[in-house]
Amino acid sequence: MKEGFRQSMAWLHTWSGLLVGWVLFLVFCAGTASYFKDEITFWMKPELHQAASEPVTPVLAAERSVAFLQQRGPDAQRWFISLPTAREPMVRMFWNPKPKPLPPGAERPRRGRFENAALDPATGQPAEAARETRGGEFLYRLHYDLHYMPALWARWIVGFCAMFMLVAIVSGIVTHKRIFKDFFTFRPRKGQRSWLDAHNATAVLALPYHLMITYTGIVTLMFMYMPWGPQVAYKGDEKTFNAEVFPSGGNRNAKAAGTPAPLVAVGPLMARAQAHWGEGSRVGRLEVMHPNDANAVVTISRQSGQDLSSIQPSMTFNGVTGELIATAGDTAGAAVETRGVLYGLHLAHFSSGLLRALFFLSGLAGCVMVATGLLLWGVKERQKFAKALKQGGRVSFGLRLVDGLNVAAIAGLPIAFATYFWANRLLPVGIAGRPQEEITCFFAAWGVAAVAGLAWPARRMWQIQLWLGAALFALVPLVNALTGPGNLGMAISRGLWSVAGFDLVCVGLGLALAAAAWWVGKRKPSPARPRAAAVTPGGSQMEAAR
Amino acid sequence: MTQAPAHPSPAARLANASPSTRHRWLSVGSEGLRYRVGVAVRAMAAIFGGYLLSALSAGVLALVLPGERLEAAVMSTLLAFVVYPCAVMWVFAARTAARAVVGLLLPCAALGAVLLAHFYLGAGA
Amino acid sequence: MSGPIVGGLAALASALGGFFALGLAMDRHYEDSFGRGSSAGRKARWLQAGGALGLVLSLVVCSGLRGAAQGAVLWCGVMTASAIVVALMLSYAPRHSARVLAATSTVAVMALAMRWLS
Repeated sequence: MKEGFRQSMAWLHTWSGLLVGWVLFLVFCAGTASYFKDEITFWMKPELHQAASEPVTPVLAAERSVAFLQQRGPDAQRWFISLPTAREPMVRMFWNPKPKPLPPGAERPRRGRFENAALDPATGQPAEAARETRGGEFLYRLHYDLHYMPALWARWIVGFCAMFMLVAIVSGIVTHKRIFKDFFTFRPRKGQRSWLDAHNATAVLALPYHLMITYTGIVTLMFMYMPWGPQVAYKGDEKTFNAEVFPSGGNRNAKAAGTPAPLVAVGPLMARAQAHWGEGSRVGRLEVMHPNDANAVVTISRQSGQDLSSIQPSMTFNGVTGELIATAGDTAGAAVETRGVLYGLHLAHFSSGLLRALFFLSGLAGCVMVATGLLLWGVKERQKFAKALKQGGRVSFGLRLVDGLNVAAIAGLPIAFATYFWANRLLPVGIAGRPQEEITCFFAAWGVAAVAGLAWPARRMWQIQLWLGAALFALVPLVNALTGPGNLGMAISRGLWSVAGFDLVCVGLGLALAAAAWWVGKRKPSPARPRAAAVTPGGSQMEAAR
Repeated sequence: MTQAPAHPSPAARLANASPSTRHRWLSVGSEGLRYRVGVAVRAMAAIFGGYLLSALSAGVLALVLPGERLEAAVMSTLLAFVVYPCAVMWVFAARTAARAVVGLLLPCAALGAVLLAHFYLGAGA
Repeated sequence: MSGPIVGGLAALASALGGFFALGLAMDRHYEDSFGRGSSAGRKARWLQAGGALGLVLSLVVCSGLRGAAQGAVLWCGVMTASAIVVALMLSYAPRHSARVLAATSTVAVMALAMRWLS
């Protein structure tokens, strides 16, 4: 604080990064995995691994889902239909059945129960053959809703950590004196300097991504964290603000009339919507309020992924006559569009192929950045105790805690991820609450690793956990072959790139973890000597990648 | 890149001390305590004062930015999250903790005054 | 070869070549590659100019692949990947850097030509 601007920013960078580093590591790992959440879910449903079925026109897919819902939920209040995309071949549907009449005196539950189903658009039959699993959605929700706590708390915690991260990034940039001179600098085998170089490299070389992902992450929930702008502008009228900023284009509060009326055919409505939005647009979602009722309303939204912006135009039709009621999202002001683009950048729905792979790579760089930062702090702090340690003393409680948390997070989390995938294949199909059981396996594995790491944060523990994580990941294709309908070779030959890609990425991560484990074994154990830390190519870059 | 602070930190002193003098949380002299209090004050100021400043900035920007109120509401919120890290950096760059706090409170007071004026005096509230 | 693959290759190779050139223009990395005490000297200017050109060409290709907005995003990702590769090469195999620079530049020029002519 007295020492000059750069030094105070260095202090700020250290502490804003360290205090929330372990939560950030979880967020980065789960978030990076989420770029491929659809592929992960697909891998976790081996019953569906046949050759990709013939694609079906969106209109046909929509009509088949409406037919299905007319059978299963004709008196529901709302139907949500998500049409297939290139990465998600099934139609996904949610509906809330009419609540049963309550016994007298019982309280109405606050949130309606939603049922869901996935439909194979080619056959019109539900894809019920697949095992129950949350799949990649669990990892996606994990990175902002955490788990075992109300979503609201989790989002505040993650938002708090995200703000710390933003401060850490900006202060890190300010404090990095030789950001251009040291752009490509990486000096392996030089102990603390190597850790610093690895931290700098993964931070600076992916800096646009890190800045973007952190700021846009906050933007996704910004009205929850900072409602004051809208409060002032709308003089406290939240309802109007929400209606304007999240345009549903229809009357969300319309009540059912109670008189039955046939639902209009959705095909022509979809055609009108596509014509209105122009060349290249596809329908993404349909929402039907009060189907088969005189007050039915059909809202059709465009599929995301065409533009950077996450805002999708929608059109709302009368559900009986098919008359157009309203359009929304066709034009947006500069600020709303900016927010849409920022939100869209975070979700990255527009990315595919090379771009999505680059997002994933940058996310991994973020994981390594956080991990090397945490480890760097431990290495630096340990040097302050070099003399004391030589005389048989102990390190401080703080350093011991950091060491333990580092093992728990950096070595433990990969074990948890891999266990989740193993559990998906090894847990018997058809048990009650199967999705939750898989998730329990994730946390159980992490819990054991974390407790072990906190109890004994020594080099040996690092070795054990890293080797275990390496084995679990590298053997994933074997588990797939033994418990699935095919194996890696068959997946490649049949063009099932998501399954093959998943297997290959797991092998890659396993190899990286193995390299890290091997490197830990090679290092000299004495803490008093300057660390002759060898950093192998795989080790430093990918050491903490999941 | 990062250098030790100009005065020897308690940790540095500890490294030179005998293994029995291990406890860091007890102040190693009054300087250690002052340092910790300063850090605590700044941390509180950064987290809560920074939020206050960002919130007030969002409020005033929502009034002042041109265009529809939806535009102003969204842009003011986006900018508030630029104000926040800047406020935090100010708090830790200021030469003393007192300066840090005052440096936050003054703009807060000014922005607060603008909002009060708007809601109680101007525009028919 | 299909359009997007050639385009992706052109973008990556241009950025790789660009970063290699910029890296070698720095004394420290030039020394690692060509021996201690040597420096790029006057060639440094050319290396820097060439490097910048490579990065700009990569941006142009990315915009051509996906439009201006998404192209800029793709460019950032391409630069990140290329910079990481260059940093690793300059650290672990600096002697080969000059040859790799020549190779990537050639690939880049070929891919760019294919894109431009098709």
